Amino acid sequence: MVSDSRIWRRLKNDRAGLAGLLIVSVFFLLAAGVWTGLLGQNWSDASGGRWEPPGKEFWFGTNLLGQDIFQRSIYSVRTAFEVGMVVSIFSTVLGAALGALAGWYSDTWIDHAILWLKGVLDSIPFYLFVAAVAYALQGQDWAMHVAMIATFWTTTGRLVRAEVMKIKSREFVLSARAIGLPDPLILFRHVLPNTLHILLIQTTIAFVAAIKTEVILSFLGLGVHDGVSWGLMLAESTQEVLAGHFSNFLAASLMLFVLLMGFNLFSDALQDASDPKQAAI
Amino acid sequence: MTCWGKLNPVNALIKSLLLLCVSIASMVMLPGCDSQRKNDAAESSASVYHHSMDGAPSSLDPAQASSIYANFLAVNLYDTLYRYKYLARPYELEPNLADGLPEVSADGLIYTIHIKPGVHFIDDPAFPGDKGRAVRAEDFVYSIKRQFDPATRAQGAWLWQGRIVGLDEWKESGSDYEQEVPGLKALDDRTLQIQLVSPFPQLTHTLTQGFSAIVPREAVDHYGQEFAIHPVGSGPYRLQTFNSASAVLVRNIRFRQEPFSLQTEGFDPASQGHLGLEQLEGQAAPFMDRVEIEFVAEDAARWNSFIAGELDFIKVPVSQFDQVLVNRDPPALNAALAENYHVIANLESGFVHTDFNMDDPRIGYHPDPELNIRNRALRCAIIEAFDWQKRNEIFYYGIGYVFDGIIPPAAPEFDSQQTRVPPARDLEHARNLLTEHGWNAENLPVLEYGFTFSVTERQMFEQLRSFLGEIGYPQEKIKPLTFPTYGEYARAYLNREVMLMTIGWTMDYPDAENTVQLFYGPNASPGSNTANYNNSRFNQLYRESSGMQPSAERTAIYREMNQIVIDDCATISGVSRRLILLWNRDLAVLPDRSFVGGFFFRFVAPRSHPGGLQATE
Amino acid sequence: MRYVLSKIAHGLLLVLGVTLISFILMVWFGPDQTYTLVGKNANPQQIAEVRHELGYDQPFAKRYADYVAQLFTLNLGASNSSGEPVSRILKRTVPVTLALMLPGFILGNVLGIALGLTAAQHRGRWTDHLINGFSVTGMSLSFLVIIIVLQVLLSTPYGLNLFPVRGWQVNDPGSYLKYVTVPTLSLILVTLGYNTRFYRAVFVEESGKDHIRTARACGASAAAILWKHVLKNSLVPVMTRIMFSIPLIVISGSLLIESYFGIPGIGKVTFDAITSGDQPVLKAVVGLTAVAFVLIQILTDLLYRLVDPRIS
Repeated sequence: MVSDSRIWRRLKNDRAGLAGLLIVSVFFLLAAGVWTGLLGQNWSDASGGRWEPPGKEFWFGTNLLGQDIFQRSIYSVRTAFEVGMVVSIFSTVLGAALGALAGWYSDTWIDHAILWLKGVLDSIPFYLFVAAVAYALQGQDWAMHVAMIATFWTTTGRLVRAEVMKIKSREFVLSARAIGLPDPLILFRHVLPNTLHILLIQTTIAFVAAIKTEVILSFLGLGVHDGVSWGLMLAESTQEVLAGHFSNFLAASLMLFVLLMGFNLFSDALQDASDPKQAAI
Repeated sequence: MTCWGKLNPVNALIKSLLLLCVSIASMVMLPGCDSQRKNDAAESSASVYHHSMDGAPSSLDPAQASSIYANFLAVNLYDTLYRYKYLARPYELEPNLADGLPEVSADGLIYTIHIKPGVHFIDDPAFPGDKGRAVRAEDFVYSIKRQFDPATRAQGAWLWQGRIVGLDEWKESGSDYEQEVPGLKALDDRTLQIQLVSPFPQLTHTLTQGFSAIVPREAVDHYGQEFAIHPVGSGPYRLQTFNSASAVLVRNIRFRQEPFSLQTEGFDPASQGHLGLEQLEGQAAPFMDRVEIEFVAEDAARWNSFIAGELDFIKVPVSQFDQVLVNRDPPALNAALAENYHVIANLESGFVHTDFNMDDPRIGYHPDPELNIRNRALRCAIIEAFDWQKRNEIFYYGIGYVFDGIIPPAAPEFDSQQTRVPPARDLEHARNLLTEHGWNAENLPVLEYGFTFSVTERQMFEQLRSFLGEIGYPQEKIKPLTFPTYGEYARAYLNREVMLMTIGWTMDYPDAENTVQLFYGPNASPGSNTANYNNSRFNQLYRESSGMQPSAERTAIYREMNQIVIDDCATISGVSRRLILLWNRDLAVLPDRSFVGGFFFRFVAPRSHPGGLQATE
Repeated sequence: MRYVLSKIAHGLLLVLGVTLISFILMVWFGPDQTYTLVGKNANPQQIAEVRHELGYDQPFAKRYADYVAQLFTLNLGASNSSGEPVSRILKRTVPVTLALMLPGFILGNVLGIALGLTAAQHRGRWTDHLINGFSVTGMSLSFLVIIIVLQVLLSTPYGLNLFPVRGWQVNDPGSYLKYVTVPTLSLILVTLGYNTRFYRAVFVEESGKDHIRTARACGASAAAILWKHVLKNSLVPVMTRIMFSIPLIVISGSLLIESYFGIPGIGKVTFDAITSGDQPVLKAVVGLTAVAFVLIQILTDLLYRLVDPRIS
């Protein structure tokens, strides 16, 4: 396993990864701007004409209702980050907790129960699960998030479990147990921190998956209720594209693409940096 | 590092796997191959009409023909007693399986109908010897009884509920088909008699509905639940294939031969002379060998398919109107399309309106009379703030017919003089209404607007929100209540859980009785009175007029009722869409999505016919 | 033998768990089909009748027990919307879905393996970087965007107009190719990025191992190394990935493709059933998916033991 300082050093030398981080930071600032009320507040105003081309007043043009596509794209960044962060953080935390428990108490009923739960969740067709949760929490804004968290934690859980099982037999753990420290303490203060690199990587992967899933869910009508997201913009654009109005489609798909690219590059860099089999720097 | 050489093994791997998947694919498809080839041979010389619909029926059982799509198919696979004249506008009743209009007794309670002789069901294994038998009057009795049998899961019973003597009692005592219903009798093989509880002038109209289509008992018993996908009827077509993506109908060679008569169908040379219908005179319908219907709900995919030449008919999606039309009213196509297609603006037989849930004290009736008046002022202000012109322009391309009230232009009782067309928009007055009655940004109620998720519905919601913003309604107080499917939305509003709801009502027959009943108190949710409107004067007038035949007197009553609803500001109403229909010039047809509806399929004909139309089956 | 039995026991527990959770979701939270089956101007009595016909008024435990029994006797009932027997629906739609998804699935994996091998072989050089770039790009594209763009580019007059926009009228290999090409291309574009990355990582790891270096040092030919050592020893992770992505790609992926392209396969049927609450269809699909998943797991385990006798 590579130490933290080494990881940072490697990261700094990975130009693609840095570029990714930069992109993500820029988007994060945009999202923060929307949260604090500085940007993208007029996403719902239908003040323009129908399908106006990009111009001075409306940088990306307008959609059918006369809404400003630029404002809507910026607001969508906030939606994307909201969905991405909530889902990735909660699913990683849940995965870490359950995975650690399963790994620590491996081959006991706790482990079997968690593995069984994992297997069950993995076998239910994803869209069926999301649709059902969406109906169950009808009207609630969190239906989609809950559904995603409930299925995304399994990957993290599996990885953490494997890692914890490996760490369990290490010297420092054995000595901690010999001293008589309580299990939960060892687990959460000593073992889990050593899985941080895995958790960080999984968070970035889950973020990407969450955004992509939201796009499809919003398109199918199971996603975002109020506000606007790239998924909704893409859904709007399917009709507009045939009438020759591409602004909505291009704005949403390009911004989505750039953000995902940024995250993927950063995620890749993280994985390469923490890979023990890479040549030492 | 460099001693690995070329990737020859990998190429071999790729090639062998490609071969593998091609062979899997052909193995998977072999079972379907043979039967299709025979059809291909027949296909090449047959005349085919490629129709498109923006939705799909889930069941072909006429008892469940509640959607316009299912109705289209039901009236082509089965016979109804009556239909509408193909070409007459305004719409007029025409006997279909019946051999004439009904003989009605003086008190309007007894209808006697004769059916045409020599009509047969199609050949099907459900019948002994696989031969379809003659249609009898008893079959009609059975078909209507079915609507009142819970096992059928029928959806059309409401048309005859409480109308036919003994029918409701028949249901209550267990729906035993051996038991007779006094008000629904077959006097002999070709004579029917219906006895009504009270006069019901619209009865004949209900007999044009797919719900009243005639089904043979043998088929229902033989196929059970599968009858819904295995139709056995006596209509102009029979079913070849059906799934969620398409349906294929083929000509029923046993369909009764009736010479087409331009005069009977109400032909108007002035407006319909360019369609090439004259050649059909004297020929027997149906004129096409096959009808292939594609169910494509997504506008984009349907339009793409049409542009690619895969469809003969399309209801043009609104987003394409700009590309397609060079003139709006009357519609004129651009040069490229005009060369190959005809166009018509078809006024829909219904209207769209946004109801307030009068049962909800936040916006509707309130036990405290002062608050009641206050709520009314709020509703009236909201109605005035609604910018119909903008709504019409953006979503209906400006050609929707906007009117005031609940009697839409498709109804004979519509009065374009009485209603302000379009309803005028006075923002100043609306804002004054609010302040006069003590409404302000703090105490305005949170409006929950329910809709089924779709891009268009969302955009309509956001537009409504911006309209209300113009009279000072705080934007955060207008919330969307989205439902993933129409079924869920229906469940909510039928249980009175939705505060504002937009409803599209399709008229069942060209008579305003069908729309005024939408505001009759006892019809409140789960009935069709989704606004849960309850006004005693309105209810009284409704009861007075319910047995009346269409007349000037009745029209006056309906107009008074209309004004009551308008004054009470119970609903933001309304608009009737004009649909732009395009069809191939190689076809001689006048398509219609309103009352004629599916009945026009039997009259579609290839344009040029040397020496008449022949069956090729 | 004991191993297989314990695996089957595990599998049964899994199937029960899946069916229970899905059933809870469907019954308590799923859409209520009553309101789509009831007509205009309904009254409470009619609504109650429809609910009774649909079996909604029975107690939960009984309905669940019925469900499990139906699954094991393969008595799947008929759709509430159309009345068609579920077994017939499956027979009609599963071959369509397989014919639709298999080419894309296989090609996506084959190309992924090929590209992964190439990248691993030229590791660190510009070929590797190029392939990496492609795969990251592929991973950043939304499925939806790909479908829309491909449809416009290939099936409309705005683009090449070579293929049908939607539909599935397949009678012979010619029409099969016509209808399957655009969906297959979409599927490949979506999965290739992920596949390439995964396989590259696997092959890089494998080729860094000691026995490969030894073989190379001993002068074994490049092709032999590639085949015998790298690929064969990577079979475990490769197989795992392929087997476990089958349910994900074939079932979930087909849902979106079939809805968008109007192809009457099991994905579209499932989606329609999910949104309308057609429980017989859903019960069958969920139950059979769970069983299939369990079978795949068992199969994969057995294959492991065949391929790598070290595992026990």
